[in-house]
Amino acid sequence: MLALGPLGFAAPWALGALALLPVLWWLLKITPPSPRTLRFPAVRLLLGLESREESTARTPWWVLALRLAAAALVILAVAQPLIHPAQPLPPAAGPLVIAVDDGWAAARDWAARRAYLDELLGRAERAGRPVLVLPTAPPADGGPVAASPMATAAEARARLQALDPKPWPTDLAAATAAVAQLPRERSMQAVWLSDGLDDGHATELARALQSLGGGLEVVTGRTGRVMMPPATDTPPDQLALTVRRLAGSAEPERVAVRGTDGSGRVLGREEAGFAPGQGEARIALRMPAELRNRLARIDIEGEQGAAAVALLDESWRRRPVGLADVGAAAAPLLGPLYYVEKALAPTAELSRGDIGQLLDRDLAVLMLADGPQAPSATGDRLARWIEGGGILVRFAGPALAHAATEGGETDPFLPVRLRAGGRSLGGAMSWTTPQGLAPFPESGPFAGLAVPADVSVNAQVLAEPTVELADRTWARLADGTPLVTGQRRGKGWVVLFHTTANAEWSNLALSGLFPDMLRRLVGLAEGVATPSSGPLAPAELLDGYGHLGQPGGAASALSGDLAAISPGPRHPPGIYGSAGARIAFNLGPRIGSPSEIRPPGGVALTRLGERQGEIDLKPALLAAALVLAIIDLMVALALRGLLPRAAAGAVLLGALAGVPPPAHAGDFALDAALSTRLAYVRTGDATIDRKSRAGLAGLSRVLADRSTASMADPMAIDLDHDPVLFFPLLYWPVTAGQKAPSAAAVDKLNDYMRRGGVIVFDTGADGDAAPHLRDITRDLAVPPLARLGEDHVLTRSFYLLKEAPGRFDAGPIWVEDGAGPANDGVSPVVVGGNDWAGAWAVDDQGRPLFAAVPGGERQRELAYRFGVNLVMYALTGNYKADQVHLPAILERLGR
Amino acid sequence: MNGPGAGKDRGGKDRGGKDRGGKEFAAQALAARLPPLLVAAERVAATVAGGIHGRRRTGPGETFWQFRRYQAGDPASAIDWRQSARATPLFVRETEWAAAQTVWLWRDGSASMDWRSHPDLPTKRDRAELLTLALASLLLRGGERVALLSGALPPTAGGAALSRLAEVLAGESTASLPAAADLPRHAEVVLVSDFLSPLDEIDAAVRRLASAGATGHLLQVLDPAEETLPYAGRIRFAGVEGEGETLVRRTEDLRDAYAARLAAHRDGLAAITRAAGWSLTSHRTDTPPQAALLSLHVRLAQPRGMGAR
Repeated sequence: MLALGPLGFAAPWALGALALLPVLWWLLKITPPSPRTLRFPAVRLLLGLESREESTARTPWWVLALRLAAAALVILAVAQPLIHPAQPLPPAAGPLVIAVDDGWAAARDWAARRAYLDELLGRAERAGRPVLVLPTAPPADGGPVAASPMATAAEARARLQALDPKPWPTDLAAATAAVAQLPRERSMQAVWLSDGLDDGHATELARALQSLGGGLEVVTGRTGRVMMPPATDTPPDQLALTVRRLAGSAEPERVAVRGTDGSGRVLGREEAGFAPGQGEARIALRMPAELRNRLARIDIEGEQGAAAVALLDESWRRRPVGLADVGAAAAPLLGPLYYVEKALAPTAELSRGDIGQLLDRDLAVLMLADGPQAPSATGDRLARWIEGGGILVRFAGPALAHAATEGGETDPFLPVRLRAGGRSLGGAMSWTTPQGLAPFPESGPFAGLAVPADVSVNAQVLAEPTVELADRTWARLADGTPLVTGQRRGKGWVVLFHTTANAEWSNLALSGLFPDMLRRLVGLAEGVATPSSGPLAPAELLDGYGHLGQPGGAASALSGDLAAISPGPRHPPGIYGSAGARIAFNLGPRIGSPSEIRPPGGVALTRLGERQGEIDLKPALLAAALVLAIIDLMVALALRGLLPRAAAGAVLLGALAGVPPPAHAGDFALDAALSTRLAYVRTGDATIDRKSRAGLAGLSRVLADRSTASMADPMAIDLDHDPVLFFPLLYWPVTAGQKAPSAAAVDKLNDYMRRGGVIVFDTGADGDAAPHLRDITRDLAVPPLARLGEDHVLTRSFYLLKEAPGRFDAGPIWVEDGAGPANDGVSPVVVGGNDWAGAWAVDDQGRPLFAAVPGGERQRELAYRFGVNLVMYALTGNYKADQVHLPAILERLGR
Repeated sequence: MNGPGAGKDRGGKDRGGKDRGGKEFAAQALAARLPPLLVAAERVAATVAGGIHGRRRTGPGETFWQFRRYQAGDPASAIDWRQSARATPLFVRETEWAAAQTVWLWRDGSASMDWRSHPDLPTKRDRAELLTLALASLLLRGGERVALLSGALPPTAGGAALSRLAEVLAGESTASLPAAADLPRHAEVVLVSDFLSPLDEIDAAVRRLASAGATGHLLQVLDPAEETLPYAGRIRFAGVEGEGETLVRRTEDLRDAYAARLAAHRDGLAAITRAAGWSLTSHRTDTPPQAALLSLHVRLAQPRGMGAR
C-alpha cells in the first residue's frame, strides 16, 4: 500500500511500469503511422518513380499524447488506486471471522453496515483471505446461530448482500457457542460488527472472538431506537408515547413520531428531542378520538427497524359501549339515554338492548339509565364483567330515588350508599336555587375539563356521607354535594351520575360538557383486547426493516400468555389472530433494557461513519482508457483516410456524449395533434405520473362511454420541452418536490391559457401540496379566483352537479372570478385538492386503483361526472351556460 | 453540369434498370444536340445490306434513280403511270439502291474504368458508356447500323436498337482491350477506354483490328486525378486490376515526373493510331461530354484517312 495523501495504491508495484512510458513514446515516435492506401488505375505510370526525400511520416504530437495518456491510465488502473484507503489486512494470516449483529437494532443504519462489510470484504479479497460469516441473530428459518462455511471473499460477499436485519434480538450467547465450535488449527482475525447492544453476553462473545488468536476489532454503528406502544389508559384525545434509545447515549437527538392508518395515511406527527444522556423521550400525540380510532401503526419517522414500529390492535380502537335501554319507544328528546347516545356516537361503537343481551357481547362500558330494570337482576354476570375491566355508568332518576327511599337490601352496583329520598332544588316548595357545578377535582378522571357557568342541577340523589365519599367523588355541585361518584371494582369501575341522563333533573345533558365527561369515562375502559383463547395464527408480520408482510419462515401461532412470549424466529413481531380479533405483538415492550456494549480491554471499538469509505478508482480509470483508445482508433482510421471525416466526427461525438440523438419535437406534435387527447404535467415523481396517466386514461374511457368525446391515450407533458397548445385540458398534479416552471415554460403556459386552454391544478395528488401551489404558479398569469358556485357552467356542462369530489372530498374548487368575455368565459384554471386523478385511475382491466374516501363508489361516480363536466367545459365553453338561466327562460316562456 | 450528362452522373455500382434507362435517356438527349450522323462511306461492299447510302445504282431504296422502259416480266404495279401518260411507251420507276454502314462500338468495361477520384465526378465507365450510347443514338438516327465489337450485339438498326445497346452495355464487362473480332472488311470501329494498358498491348490490339481492314477512332477517357495527380504526402498506391502497388513517400514530388510519363504514354498512343491510320481523341470526366461527342462526330463524318492526316 502506497499512500499519497488521501490517495493510496493497493498494487503500487504496477506504478513501475510508468517508467516504460518514455520508451513507448520513443517507439511511437519512430514508428510512422501506416500510410493512406489509395486505389489508383494509373498506378503503372507511378511504378518505378522514386521521390527524393522521405516525407514527414511522423505521428502528430497530439496522437502521441493521446496514446501515452491511455497507457498511463491503464498503468494507474492496474495499480488499484483508492481514495481514503483503509488499512489493508495482512495477507495470508489465516481466515477472517466476521460476526455480524443482524438483530432489530442494526436495521437503523443497515445500509452503512452493509457498505462497511462490502469494503471489509474488498480488503479481504485483496489480501486473498478466506472469510467466515457469523450472523448473531437466530436465522428466520428457525435454525441455530452458526457460522457460515469458510468461503472466499467473493462468495461471502454474495452471502452478506443477502443478509437482512431480523425483527428480533440477537442471541449473543448462542453466537458465543458457535464461535467455540470453530476449528482452531489456525489463528483467525475477527471483526465484530455490533449493533451496540449488550444482552449480558457481549463480553463472552468478545472474549471468544479474541481467543481465536488473530485479534478482534469491534465496530458499531447507530443503535436502533424503540417505539413503545402507547398506554391504553390515556385520555381519549391524545396518545402518550415513549421512544427509548440506548441509555447513556451522550449526543442530543431529534425524534419524530407519526401515526398512520391501515392504508398508510399519516394521521398525526409529533416531534420530541432526547437530551444528552436521556434514554427516554415522551411524546403526546394529540388527535381527535375519531382519528385515534383509525390508527393502525405508530412509527419513528425515517427510521427502519422492527422496533421502531408499534402496531395497534383493537385494544386501542373504538370502545364498544352498551346502552341498557328500556324505553326505546320514548320520544327522541325525552328518552333516558338519548343524550348519551348522541354524545358517544362519534367516538364509540354503540349497541342497545337489555343488560343480559349486552353482556353477551364484548363491552367496554355499559350505560344504565334510571328505570325499572334493576342491575341486580343479572347478578353475578354483571359483577364478574366489572371485575374483569368493565365500566358500569349509571344515571339517577326517580326510580333510583324511590328505591333508596324504600330501603331494603342495598343495591350492590352503586359506588356510594344513597340517602333516602332525593333532593330537589329551586322548586316551588324549596328555598334553595338550582346549583351549578364546582370545578372538577384534580385527581378524578374529569380533571382539567372547563366548567360552563350555565349548567344547573335541579334535582339529585344524595350520598350517605362516609369516609370514602370524598375519594369517590369525581364531580360535585357548587355546594359540595357529589354529582358524579365512582368506585373501583377489580379492574373495572362503577360510576354513578347523581342526576338524570336527560333534561328532567338538570340541564347537564344539554351542555357541551356532558359529551366530554362521557368520553373521559369511556377512555377509562381497557377495551376488549383479549379475543377467544387458543393459538393465534400469524396474519401479517414485520420484517427487519419494519415493513408488514406475509408470514413466512418458521413463524408459528401464538398461544398462552402473550407477555411471556419473547420475539424470535418462531414468533416475529406483527399482527396475529384471525380477521375478527387481531392482536398486535409488538417488539418494543419485549426487548427489556439492554445496555451498551463495553468491549473488554485491549479491543478497539470504532464507530461507523467516523472514517470515509474508500473509493476504488480502477473502473473509472479503465473506462477513461477505453474511451481514449476508441478515440485513438477513430483518429488512426481518419488519418489513413478510411473514415469519412463527417462520419468520424459524428461517431466520436456520439461515443463521447453517449447520448442518443434527441427525439424529434415533430413526432410529439404529430402525435398530440392528430387526435384529441388529455394531457398531464410530468412531475418527475414516477408514482404521481403513473397515477395521472391512469387517471386520465380512466376518464378518457368514461368519456368515450358516455359522450361523443372520444379521446386518444393521454400524454405526458414536459413543460420545458414540449408544446402544450394541442390539448384542451392540462392536468397538473402539484407535488412538493416540483420546481416552478422556467421562464420559457411560463410564457408557453400563459399563452396557452390566453388562447383558451384549461389547466387543472390538483393539490391533493401528493398529500397536501397546497402550499407549493403558490410557488409553482407565482409567475403564471392566473386570474383572480373565486369558489366554484352552484350556478357555474362547470356544474352544468354535462351532468348537473352540486359537488366535485375526487379521491377525497375536501375543500372548495376555485375558478376564475367572474367570467370574462375572453374564451367564452372559460376559466383558464381550475384549482382543487381532491386528487381527481386518484379517483379516475383504473388499471388495464378497468378496475379502480385507489379507494375513494369517505364516499366510496358513489363518490367515484361523482368524480367521474365532474371529470366529464370538466372536459366538456374545456371543449364546449359556455355552450351550456344557458342551463344556468333555464329557470328564468322557462318563467318567461310560461308568461 | 446541366442538361445531357446530368441524368447519368449519379454513378454508382448499381447498374440496374433505372440507371440503364437514365443513361439511355441522357445519351439520346446528348445526341439530340448534334445533327444526325451520316458516316461518309468511302467504299461500299456489295454484301452490305440495304441502307440509306446511295449506291449509285438501281436497287431497293426510296430515292428516285431513273425511269426505264417497261420490259416483259415487270410487275404491273411497278409502272409509273404519270410518266407513261406523257409518251407512248410504258415507264417503270426505279429507285437508287441505298445501303447502310455498320459502326462497331467498343468501350472498356474493366475494373480500372470503375473509378473516380471524387464522389461528385462520374466514373470513367459511366462517362464512356454515355458517350458510346450518344454516338450510337446519332448513328441510328442517321440510319446507320451499330454493333458491339464484343459480339454481344449483332449489327442492328432502328430506334429500338438503342435500348438493346444500353441493356447489353450495362450488363457487360470486358477486358481492358478489345479482343480480335470477326469483322467485315473496311468496317468502322470506335474504341472508348482509358488506354492505360502498356503501349505494346494497345499496339497489338489496334494492329489486329487494322489488319482486318477496319478504320477506327480511339477515345481516351481519363479522370482529372489521373492527369494531375493532386495527392500529397505518404500514400500507398494500389492498382485496380492487380498491377501491383507502390509506396510513394512524397507524392507531391512525383507530380512532374508523372505528368511527363502520362504525356509520353499519350504520344505513344498517337503514334500507334497514326501508324494504323486511325485517330485519337482525349476526354476528361470533369469536362462536358458534348465536346468529346462533337469531336467523334466530326471524325466519323470525315472521309477515311483524313483524321489521321
